Amino acid sequence: MKALLVLLALGLNLYGGISVGDKAPNFKLKTLDGTKSYSLNRLRGKVVLVNLWASWCKGCQKEMPEFVKLQKSYKKGFKLVTINVDDDPKKGEKFLKSVAQKTAQKIPFITLANPTKSIAKAYKCVAMPSSYLIDKNGIIRDIIVGSLNANDMKALKKEINQIK
Amino acid sequence: MKVTFSIQLLFLSLIFLFNGCSDKLTRVMPYEKEHFADVKMSLSPLAERAEHEGHIFLIREASAGGDSAYQGGCGCR
Repeated sequence: MKALLVLLALGLNLYGGISVGDKAPNFKLKTLDGTKSYSLNRLRGKVVLVNLWASWCKGCQKEMPEFVKLQKSYKKGFKLVTINVDDDPKKGEKFLKSVAQKTAQKIPFITLANPTKSIAKAYKCVAMPSSYLIDKNGIIRDIIVGSLNANDMKALKKEINQIK
Repeated sequence: MKVTFSIQLLFLSLIFLFNGCSDKLTRVMPYEKEHFADVKMSLSPLAERAEHEGHIFLIREASAGGDSAYQGGCGCR
């Protein structure tokens, strides 16, 4: 009985997480500057990397210049979608401007605002930053928790090329 | 001691109850930690102040170690 109860308690805590093989929850959000809106369904047919980030998150700050390089290396078939969860989207916009200045490049990926954090909730985000690699059919192929460095990007590129 | 079925059932329902509380009410999710990440929330937001506090601690407690400050404990630095 004790073992059963322990297992049940563990099961309850682990229940509800999103995992590889699941269908990626759709979203429709506006860009950080509020001029356009994008949905995940609209990107169907492309490999998509959904990244959840915030301007206050150190790991997110670290990996953002790497994301600029990643998106620049793909002209077709891959789209990086970053979703900002700052309470005030202007903070995210300001941070991205500083990244653009540092890297001396325009931000090449889609940057969406989600101040209500509904997408982080839908994706059951367990840490910041979190990235979800989604294939052409909208199925989650990998979940990356934590920030990515240059070496991680190489491994990620291999993964993207495999499913592209 | 023999645990009756009703006690087992009560225990089981308590697990369900408290698990619900931990998820919905008290748990701050990683994407909700904007205010925790603020510099104001750190114990020593200013490096200079932290060093000064460490210095005062050394004088008061007459013990050194555990940080980068070095001195003999006289408090004259």
